[in-house]
Amino acid sequence: MRKILLLSFLLLSLGIEALAQSRTVNGQVTGADDGQPIPGVNIIVQGTNKGTTTDMNGKYSIELAAGENVLVYTFVGYKAQTIEVGQREVIDVVLLIDATELEEVVVVGYGIQKKSDITGSTANVKGEELTKQPVLTATQAIQGKVAGVQIISSGQPGSSPQIRVRGVSTALAGTTSLYVVDGVLTDDISNINTADIVDMNILKDASSAAIYGSRGANGVIIITTKKGVEGAIKVTYNNNIGIRQAANLVEMANSAEYNNYVQAATGSAPPASSYDTDWYNTILRNAWQQTHNISLSSGTDKATYLFNVGYLQDQGIVIDNEFKRLTLRFNNEYKITDKIKFGLQSSYGNSINENGFGNINIDAYGNIGSVYNDAYRAAPIIADIENGLYGNTSAYQNVGNPLLDVKNNSVKVKENRLQGSTYLEVKPLTWLTFRSTIGGDWRNSLNRLYEYQFFNDENTFLVAGGNQYRAQSKLSVSQSQSFRWVWDNMITLYKKFDKHDITLLVGTTAEEYNLHWFSASRLDVPADPSLWYIGVGDANTSQNAGGGDAWARNSYLARLNYAYNEKYLLTATVRRDGSSRLPSQNRWQVYPSVGLGWIMSRENFMQGQNIFDLLKIRASYGKVGNDQIPTNAFTQTVAQNKPYPYSGYTTPSTNGDQINQLIDPNITWETTEEFDVAIEFAFLQSKLTGELNYYKKNVNNALIFKPLLVTWGFDLDHLILTNAASIQNNGIEAVLNWTDKVNDNFSYTISGNVTLNKNKVVDLNGGLPIYSGGIGAAQGFTTITDIGQPIGSFYVLDVIGVFNSAADVAAYQDADGNMIQPSANPGDFKYRDKDGDGVIDINKDKVYAGSYQPVAYFGLNLGANFKNWDFSLSLYGNVGNEVYNGKKAVRVSGTDNIEKEIAYNRWTPSNKSQSEPAANSGNMYASTYFVESGSFLRINNLTIGYTFPSSLLQKIKISSLRVFATSQNLFTLKKYSGFTPELPGDPVSSGIELSSYPTTRTIAMGLNVGF
Amino acid sequence: MKMKRIVSIKFVLLITLLTGLIVSCTDDFLDVPVQGGVSTSTDPNLAQDLVTGLYNTLLQGDSWGNGDVHGFAFISVTSIMSDDASKGSTATDQAIPVGDIDNFTLTSTNKFCESLWSGHYNGIGAANRTLAELKKAAISESQKKQLMGEVRFIRGYLYFNMVRMYGGVPLVLRVPVNEADASSDPAFSVRAPALQVYDSIVVDLQYAVDNLSLKGVYAPGRATKGAAQSMLAKVYMYRASNPANPNPNADWQKVYDLTDAVITSGNYSLATDYATIWRQVGDNNNESIFEIQTGEFDNSNLKIDNYTVCQGPRVGGLGGWNDLGWGFNNPTPSLLSAYEPGDLRKASTIISIDNSGAHVGTVLWDGFRIPSSDSVQNLFYNYKAYTSTALDPSGKPLEEFKNPGDKDRPKNIRILRYADVLLMNAEAAVHLGTGDPDGKVNLIRDRADLAPKGGVTIADIWQERHVELAMEHDRFWDLVRQGNAEAVMHAAGKTNFVAGKHELLPIPNSQILLSGNQLTQNPNY
Repeated sequence: MRKILLLSFLLLSLGIEALAQSRTVNGQVTGADDGQPIPGVNIIVQGTNKGTTTDMNGKYSIELAAGENVLVYTFVGYKAQTIEVGQREVIDVVLLIDATELEEVVVVGYGIQKKSDITGSTANVKGEELTKQPVLTATQAIQGKVAGVQIISSGQPGSSPQIRVRGVSTALAGTTSLYVVDGVLTDDISNINTADIVDMNILKDASSAAIYGSRGANGVIIITTKKGVEGAIKVTYNNNIGIRQAANLVEMANSAEYNNYVQAATGSAPPASSYDTDWYNTILRNAWQQTHNISLSSGTDKATYLFNVGYLQDQGIVIDNEFKRLTLRFNNEYKITDKIKFGLQSSYGNSINENGFGNINIDAYGNIGSVYNDAYRAAPIIADIENGLYGNTSAYQNVGNPLLDVKNNSVKVKENRLQGSTYLEVKPLTWLTFRSTIGGDWRNSLNRLYEYQFFNDENTFLVAGGNQYRAQSKLSVSQSQSFRWVWDNMITLYKKFDKHDITLLVGTTAEEYNLHWFSASRLDVPADPSLWYIGVGDANTSQNAGGGDAWARNSYLARLNYAYNEKYLLTATVRRDGSSRLPSQNRWQVYPSVGLGWIMSRENFMQGQNIFDLLKIRASYGKVGNDQIPTNAFTQTVAQNKPYPYSGYTTPSTNGDQINQLIDPNITWETTEEFDVAIEFAFLQSKLTGELNYYKKNVNNALIFKPLLVTWGFDLDHLILTNAASIQNNGIEAVLNWTDKVNDNFSYTISGNVTLNKNKVVDLNGGLPIYSGGIGAAQGFTTITDIGQPIGSFYVLDVIGVFNSAADVAAYQDADGNMIQPSANPGDFKYRDKDGDGVIDINKDKVYAGSYQPVAYFGLNLGANFKNWDFSLSLYGNVGNEVYNGKKAVRVSGTDNIEKEIAYNRWTPSNKSQSEPAANSGNMYASTYFVESGSFLRINNLTIGYTFPSSLLQKIKISSLRVFATSQNLFTLKKYSGFTPELPGDPVSSGIELSSYPTTRTIAMGLNVGF
Repeated sequence: MKMKRIVSIKFVLLITLLTGLIVSCTDDFLDVPVQGGVSTSTDPNLAQDLVTGLYNTLLQGDSWGNGDVHGFAFISVTSIMSDDASKGSTATDQAIPVGDIDNFTLTSTNKFCESLWSGHYNGIGAANRTLAELKKAAISESQKKQLMGEVRFIRGYLYFNMVRMYGGVPLVLRVPVNEADASSDPAFSVRAPALQVYDSIVVDLQYAVDNLSLKGVYAPGRATKGAAQSMLAKVYMYRASNPANPNPNADWQKVYDLTDAVITSGNYSLATDYATIWRQVGDNNNESIFEIQTGEFDNSNLKIDNYTVCQGPRVGGLGGWNDLGWGFNNPTPSLLSAYEPGDLRKASTIISIDNSGAHVGTVLWDGFRIPSSDSVQNLFYNYKAYTSTALDPSGKPLEEFKNPGDKDRPKNIRILRYADVLLMNAEAAVHLGTGDPDGKVNLIRDRADLAPKGGVTIADIWQERHVELAMEHDRFWDLVRQGNAEAVMHAAGKTNFVAGKHELLPIPNSQILLSGNQLTQNPNY
């Protein structure tokens, strides 16, 4: 009896204790969007490992011990909730949809992936961001919007900008990123209408670009064009009309300033003249540009159609220039059966570029110079044109009259381009997809140049003489045609079971390109445009030429994407590429890559906190390659048509051959290895998001055109293409975006990105430092590529001041008391004797003077919406890059014009400048005088728009109408005294301004109408 | 259910197989030959064609660019640099680089010195390549020897120019196998001493002497035995005059023997009219030993760029006429005063612009009239560079050019002619105390309508060389050879000439840099 009582008491006390210390909570979890119960919701007791999940009916039951008071409810796609239990025993929870975790889908190579699953470094720019800007190609429009991507453009209409992703990596001139337009690989998107683009995905690091293997070295830009949308026919019309003008012109001296300078420089005054010509004003103008786009789209559940027509007209800022382009696009998709899908994207572009030249070559008559070069050098004391007669600049100073340079010939380039791809996708099983895509790109261009006949007499010029003339008119016509096809076959397997999510992609691609061109010219063709055909010319003066090019590539690739529990990510890629451009012993190369990711914010231990809405860490390593060398780089070819007239003029010449190119028969792939690690985060209900990314990129066996010693053999351009160096880039990219919806009427975003990059040459493959940047005059080589320094660093004499008097010159002595610059005069530069040998030697006394690569480049983009108004501003800038003012440096004659600034600030006995020399006739040594800071900040785009309220529009049967005003390149803040600090070029000799096209500013207005 | 699965698997396999078949591109797919690229194996006459390509390198005239052998840069360093000529044109025109060459203020960055260096090495490289190809060529022994003789003649001539311009230079006699080979062999980047270069030239030219045919066997533009003998004689003459030569008389004997062989061969004689020598009618005449040929190719003039147009009379002042060129290479008063009175050669060498105030103008041999000095930039021009577009009474052009409208008309360059051989023979004879120097000199004086001389001295011969070969690219090097360049220059007003420096051109700075400083600069530059 007592035992039973004791037992009961014990049990009771235990029970009472249990009652005091633990309790059970239960309830049901439903979704706020549909009110349905959610099975599988994780419920954890905060601060412990204890947890449970909801059952099929969304119901749960959990035991809490004493002191445990908080439960955390989480489920993918919904916002986590933290609930204080208090005394309640039943807690029903309603979970809200989590907008940030709604999977943004990104196009990666040969497929799509959820943004959260990506382990590589990619960036995305939406089509609306691109269309807002009045630019020719979409590439120009991404300037400043993507961290790590530097866009360097020239203002010439019809020209494509140069792209550098994460520092100068691949080392060949003109190499751009790989563009993939709807699966078709191409190098040139100037025919793509920006309005046709849905978005652009930029694959920046090696691991994401590795799927493209040999072409991923400078990043990959994947462009997706618009598709039709299910529903009734939707029509939209967009236009954009504005003015373009030259921005940041350099002010040149006027006649009075010029006369003073020339008197001081050469000792004799120029001839008296009543003219005061502003040459840039003569050849430049404000230009119209307009774009119009109409888009029709419609679809059913079986098929979607999209048809776009676009027209662009751009007068260049140089007189007589005009560029016109018409593009047609037809995209459609058909669902043939449930399992078979067929799609077709096709576009046709037709463009005409008239007088769009930057350069008129020196011809046999000595007609000299490019228009811009001549405009820089021509003296203001010569008239441009008066009563139909041109001022004769070449009689006075050996420079062509820039206005006549433009007017004495007529160029027309017509281009047709048909580009498209078609795909067939078969899904025999839910987990298996087979896709075959064939893309083609056919281009045809016709180029006609007519050079007028004119003499250097009083019929053409105010004063006869000089060497700007053409004794006989000449018509040159050339035509080229190229075709490129790409064929991909891909198999994708997709399996999701338990917590494993696996996608496997296996496939092959093949690609081929063929080009063939020919040209013909004849003299004595009349000046009437209707007679500009080769047949009209004098057959006795007929010349012709022709050639072609061809290459092929073949690849095998595989990619595995694995996600465990939606938190742990792995991507592995391997690709084997073969290219016909490399010798057979080096033809094939394997490019592997691997990427890992961890979405920390989905971890259980992160569910309680509400600081991070998203925290993801990723790291990757990959290898990509580059084979973009000319197809004849490793084959010894014989140059023909090297004749000699063994009997003088009495008999025709005998034709001969030369072997005049030194080649590297063992040339091989250039490979880029990259390591990347990053944190992506989101705070404050994803109002503040961003990314911090560190990368290290090594380019091995960089392909460079190296100057060679002339004694090595006969080579016409004295350059050899070889794997010459290894280059390293490492840096940090930071992106921050702030989006805030203050109330229903006002929301705004601020986003900024900054990239810091450091470039260094780490190896020269046993060779000597590579000198480059030879620009003529007395400059010699201005850049050097050497171990430990950035590629293409400026390497010049160091100017430490200006001699003020003969005593100054005498006082500049070496350790032994000998004058270092004995032949210097007051007003000449004082150079630093770097090696201390008492002599200024232009080889041995050079110093490193910075690099054209910026230390940092950044973009800031602001956008705001207030009621029906929208506003956006984007800024872009570079810091820390140097520019070489080549225009100033190649001045070789005392009669060349000078910049106004030099006319005023030059050294004189009464103005003892220490930074400008006395008036001189040019031919100066390469020195730090010509190296200037290229840091700049530019207002890239400023747009204001107003969307009409739909109530107003219903009356006119328009569904949407927005009007806007926009400006491109509105204002640039820069230190550089030349035209532009953005100078595309070859990596070993970039950043040198020689005959650059001035940048342009555009101000435009337009409307977006939806019917 | 199961059935369907099997079918589906078969379907999958079929697709995979098809994919595999379609895209199993063979390696052939990637074997794409260079389009339009003729390779060394497709041309059966490669060796002969390379020989023609080598002659083509003698036409290089890209003075501001890739290479110059006989263009404006060549004119600058052989003529403008001497006491016989000054820059010309306007004061500021080409002040750099030509003005610098004229005034001896040139530096190692001089563009013309650089293009002469690369132009000659372009030719030397082509010669080495051609020799390598000739060795393997499937042609007869005799043809091989003839062609190799021609190639070695040209190589010897190019090195002769180089050693006269720069002194010792890298002696490159083979084609490098690859870049590593070229950068590891010092022969490509270290300057051989001048005497070693002379030895190599002698070997090359001797082979040419031994293997080339006589004049008239092949086309006149090809090198001949006589050309090789004359060139070799000249080389020996320069070597003999070198103060470092321990045994000059041995070389003078060679000069005498070689020139004697040319004289006694009977293949050459003096042209009757001195004035016609440099005109088109005088191309490859009886006096010509070796000329750089020009003509026509591909419906246009085939010429040395800028050779004629840079020396043509230039409009200036009041203007009003369509001029003939850029106006460079003006004969100096010093040259004018060197002629004896009555010397026919003066009027055939120098165009004198009418500065009398009478406005008569100057009428040239074909009737072309140049206005008087108030419409012309300079006062004197090189007559030997003149090309004519005038027509004869029947309407046929006096000189034939494919493209006469182009001011830069072709002109053959007379590298060696019989008068030069006679004078070398005379000079050797005086040194050795044998032969008939008076006879040789008087043949030349007679043609110039001058009284004969007896007991000619070296100074007389040098005087005769001066006026006979004036404006023919011989003067500057000859002055340096004679050893009194400084005195003569200073007397002519070129007071910047520094002995021990300005006899040679500076080695181009960019090449020194590219060689990693293995190339050494000439003294005092």
